Amino acid sequence: MAPAVRAEYQEELDRLEASALGGLDLVSAALSRTLEAIEHQDVELAQIVVADDDRIDGRYLEVHQALITLLATQSPVATDLRLISALLHVLKNVERMGDQCVNVCKMIPLTGNEPPADPEMVKLILAMGSQTKTLISQAKRSFAERDVELAQDLVRQDDAVDDLNRNCFRLALEIGDDADRREWAMTMLLAARAIERTADNAVDIGEQVAFVVTGLFREFEDASHPAP
Amino acid sequence: MPAAIGAAKPEAESSETEMKPPLPSTSTARTSTRASAGRPAKTIETRDVNLFYGDFQAVEGVTMTVEPNKVTALIGSSGCGKTTFLRSLNRMHELTAGARMEGEIALDGQDVYGRGVDPVQVRRLVGMVFQQPNPFPAMSIYDNVAAGLNLSQGKVKKVDRDAIVERSLRGAHLWEEVKDRLDKPGAGLSGGQQQRLCIARAIAVEPEVLLMDEPCSALDPVATLAIEDLIGELKTKYTIAIVTHNMQQASRASDVTAFFNLEATGRPGRLVEIGPTEKIFTSPSQQATEDYVSGRFG
Repeated sequence: MAPAVRAEYQEELDRLEASALGGLDLVSAALSRTLEAIEHQDVELAQIVVADDDRIDGRYLEVHQALITLLATQSPVATDLRLISALLHVLKNVERMGDQCVNVCKMIPLTGNEPPADPEMVKLILAMGSQTKTLISQAKRSFAERDVELAQDLVRQDDAVDDLNRNCFRLALEIGDDADRREWAMTMLLAARAIERTADNAVDIGEQVAFVVTGLFREFEDASHPAP
Repeated sequence: MPAAIGAAKPEAESSETEMKPPLPSTSTARTSTRASAGRPAKTIETRDVNLFYGDFQAVEGVTMTVEPNKVTALIGSSGCGKTTFLRSLNRMHELTAGARMEGEIALDGQDVYGRGVDPVQVRRLVGMVFQQPNPFPAMSIYDNVAAGLNLSQGKVKKVDRDAIVERSLRGAHLWEEVKDRLDKPGAGLSGGQQQRLCIARAIAVEPEVLLMDEPCSALDPVATLAIEDLIGELKTKYTIAIVTHNMQQASRASDVTAFFNLEATGRPGRLVEIGPTEKIFTSPSQQATEDYVSGRFG
């Protein structure tokens, strides 16, 4: 076995990968709080999520800068280069997911203290959130383990989120004539949409896993060219 | 393949010495009027090349193509045989006592090692630039560039010679820096200028192929980038193979990268992988290549 060459560089790269993937844990925690805030119409908790997004943004900026430094100083190539490129994408996705939680949490005060909530729709949104958390942890694990099959399975998991989102839409259409209820439903549709996008971000991370492992980037699913 | 490339050449060149079979066994006077720009360069193909120094086998079984109008970088750790292989392409390897070669090396289909082929003529068609700039120290800048002309083309008229020297110095991006001191010794130039002078000397005899053996290893970063820019321009006229230990240089300056490696000390070097430079540096197919280009080769 050859002696370890570039050990410090390798350690730094490992550390940055762990830090970037750790961003997904921050997002998962933010999403949990977001769901709780929705469930209990907890405006204060929602405000905490908004304020706490600075931690996610901070992680993004810190790891992003360190990766750029590695690019500038270590001339990474081959797998290292693909990994760094993928981590930059992962960070962007982490940042976007954090912002989606913020988007949802900013809507919660808009619906008022005792909104005319439809329990069925709340249930659907909570289910979407729970499924999205599954996607986030699966995306993280597939990246850490370089497991392309597990990454590709994210598409299947994401389909469940999309189905729930469509059901939300259907419920909103049938919410009735009451103006307050309709306004609440419209707002909740935006929340559902934000959670649905968060799940899409998790799938994007899966695509980066495939890129790191195979060297080929392709979208698992192409919205503009859907499979027949 | 050779016929096709030959046919593509302008008629004015038909009287020139080309590597038609058999390779000329003596140097023939060439006209100096050939316009180099846009001409198709030549392809070097090697098949199962084995190279020896006495009993020691330095290179084993190299089969590869050095493509025309491209820069092919040969990379690999010290002792992997890449320089030996480069030197075999223009028959400089055999200048070392006890050195010999097995296999086939062809320039546009013509056997470089064929019976009756004049090695001097091969080296005129396949020029070499070395690691250390090696201008003739006592000679003027002008005479350094013109040095090869007398050997390869016999007597050249002064007016033609002036034109060739200027064209070659311009081609090597040196003309503007030296045009007012052509009679000064080449040794008075900076390292980077000296290396460009050597490139001017190499292209003065209008070779088909330029081989470069770590041409920038003795140069500072600015001079290195100047040479790399020059290489990028030269490839429009020539086929270029460059040995480099500088991985970034290979990734910056080459189109194709060939990675050489040896299994263990004392074993011959082999070609592990050759492919588009972009692929070698983003997604090589061999683990040994990956380890080397990412600097984990212990």
